[in-house]
Amino acid sequence: MTQIIFKSIRVINPATSYDEISDVIIKKNKIVSILKNVNSDTLVKKDKTIIYDCNGLSMAPGIIDMRVNLGKTENLELTQKIAVQHGITSMVVLPNQTPRLDNPSIIDHLHRQSENDHLPLVKVFGAATKDFEGLEMAELGLMSEMGAVGFTNGNISIKNSLVMRRIMSYAAMINQPIIQHAEDADLSGLSEASTTSIKGEMNEGETSTRLGLIGIPSCAEVMIIERDLRLAELTGVHYHVAHVSTREAVDVIRHAKKRGMKITCDTAPPYFSLNETALKGYDTAFKISPPLRSEDDRLAIIEGIRDGTIDAIASDHRARSKDTKIQPFSAASVGACGIETLFLLTLELVHKNIINIIKALSMITINPAKLLKIEKPSVQENKDATFFIFNEHITNKINQKEMETSPTPFDGRVVKGKILGTFIKGHASFIDQTFNERIIK
Amino acid sequence: MTKIFKKNPVQSNSSPVNLSSPHLLSIEGMSKLEIQNLLNRADYFANLDRHSDIKNLSGYVILNVFFENSTRTRVSFELAARRLGAEVINISLTNSSIKKGESLLDTASTLNAMKPDVLIVRHPHSGAPSLFAEYLDCSIVNAGDGRHEHPTQALLDALTIRRRIGYLEGLKVSICGDIANSRVARSNIHLLTIMGAEVRCIAPPTLMPAHLEKFGVKCYYDMREGIKDADVVMLLRLQNERMSGTESPSQREYFKFFGLDEEKLSLANPNAVIMHPGPMNRGVEIASALADDADRSLIKTQVEMGVAIRMATIEALNHTRYYNLEKQI
Repeated sequence: MTQIIFKSIRVINPATSYDEISDVIIKKNKIVSILKNVNSDTLVKKDKTIIYDCNGLSMAPGIIDMRVNLGKTENLELTQKIAVQHGITSMVVLPNQTPRLDNPSIIDHLHRQSENDHLPLVKVFGAATKDFEGLEMAELGLMSEMGAVGFTNGNISIKNSLVMRRIMSYAAMINQPIIQHAEDADLSGLSEASTTSIKGEMNEGETSTRLGLIGIPSCAEVMIIERDLRLAELTGVHYHVAHVSTREAVDVIRHAKKRGMKITCDTAPPYFSLNETALKGYDTAFKISPPLRSEDDRLAIIEGIRDGTIDAIASDHRARSKDTKIQPFSAASVGACGIETLFLLTLELVHKNIINIIKALSMITINPAKLLKIEKPSVQENKDATFFIFNEHITNKINQKEMETSPTPFDGRVVKGKILGTFIKGHASFIDQTFNERIIK
Repeated sequence: MTKIFKKNPVQSNSSPVNLSSPHLLSIEGMSKLEIQNLLNRADYFANLDRHSDIKNLSGYVILNVFFENSTRTRVSFELAARRLGAEVINISLTNSSIKKGESLLDTASTLNAMKPDVLIVRHPHSGAPSLFAEYLDCSIVNAGDGRHEHPTQALLDALTIRRRIGYLEGLKVSICGDIANSRVARSNIHLLTIMGAEVRCIAPPTLMPAHLEKFGVKCYYDMREGIKDADVVMLLRLQNERMSGTESPSQREYFKFFGLDEEKLSLANPNAVIMHPGPMNRGVEIASALADDADRSLIKTQVEMGVAIRMATIEALNHTRYYNLEKQI
């Protein structure tokens, strides 16, 4: 029986707050033991053993990316294959894809279609309302039985307060979270019924005025959150705000948490790594939703990460074709890719001494697991051998040309860190060439 | 107090201007010297007898590519190019290939394959000319992009003011109207602040863009206050669809508070001049009689100066490109 030993690897496991250099032995799909100073000679005699010299490398539980847009054209299997190369072993897809994930049978179909022991586990957010129209409740209960981990209208805010109240109270009954994209569509000019031709394109501020692009005021986010909090209080639902991007939103969520409300939120790397001035050359890779905000907002997001107001970091992956992006800014599609940069930019928070590595990894592993009530990934004896291995010190430049998804808003950014391997249930789903060179013969 | 303008002897420039970029995409980013040089050169063209034009761009090809309807700007560019001796082809793309679903970049590269020297682009989307500049080989002139900029309009406005008053520095210029949606306003704000004028913007808050003060201008919601002692009153066109209860309750209400009439104008410098990029909505932005007041209205001069400015621009861009090419060789 083959066993694999990862010799002298730094095991960083948020679930147990373990951070030590150890030897990890895996057999079949399980982690057999995590020890110090195993005598590899004796083991070789007993079994067929592969030993990796992991000096200088780290091991962490597989990443859960809790927000992946597949959209109309993205191929699920391909996305899974790309994700696994970047440490992701579970991902949650949004319902706003084609076909829409708004009934139990389509969710069942997606689960079956994505089932592959060697690829990331796919979880699903079901649609909160039928056809995303925000009027009639979708079959929350049946979708929940089929394994949906929460309900949302994807990148559309649920606008009608009565509908929201009903969805929330129903979701509270079945103990599922409601995930909101918080943006007042009328104020942003994104609503169909908007009285003018004005359609929000970026954050409202000096930069939008300079560029002559239509601004979305940052309060469009917090207005929805504030209303939803009233309804969440009324219904007792677990309310989750997706991709938080403004200072006001962080403040309101922080306050609500202090009052003991069941509220959680996530953000995405662009919101703590970039600000609106990135749009200066009309580069459409920066056209995302919510829009990149001011520097002050960016600092508030970082503060929210630091003090725990923000629970999780998700990629908010929304890959777009080049054709829809090489366009004038106003005509270009909304969204940027993220699965290939999620870990590197989260790790950047550690390199910049904003948070420690345990906290950073928590935000992309156990925190999303906890709030979506899925099994917490953990590098621990007798647990699944689902983890990734990385070198936190290698300096790299993010290069769009070398990436499989586009567009990245981080093209040319110098980052520290490289993923060398991802194991799912003991299977080497991704191995970097340089990692194979570490096998001790 | 009456301020009498002293005419400074304005320089005119008899040789082509060299710019720092082979494109004219925005006023923002231009230097004071570049603007001054362009104005001087345009001044020279404006003084030139129409029949004694220098035909130094003979053999050059200029494409006028308009993705938005326009008469005056297109004709002005066309005339300017012809007076320099260049070939001009007008292409109106408001309803041809766009409707066929061709992407903007495909349209652009098709045009590029015809090897023009200068592409003059007007587009309803802010930043579209920058996209052209990124992917095409020829020089790009932004002839108005969305709500972003309309650099030649600001240049011709500056030339008009300079030829009437003699200088720009220290002048009080009040820009009034739909600032939020105006590319003319943005280009003028940049140009006038670069040249040292005192710029005031007047608009109802619904038509005032965010954080405009950061551009170094003063913002007013009260036209009487904003126009006080102004040397130049620049009005902007208001689109009718903004007048039906969206940004302004009605045309008559707009005219009452933000339209230029004798009474409001009396608060400005008695020698103040009136400008408008056209086309005008008489009785909305400006009282009809004022628009026709030959002493105070420079509206027709603006149109005339447009040709001179565009001659200077087209010439400068070609000059810059070939000068840079020679340097590389």
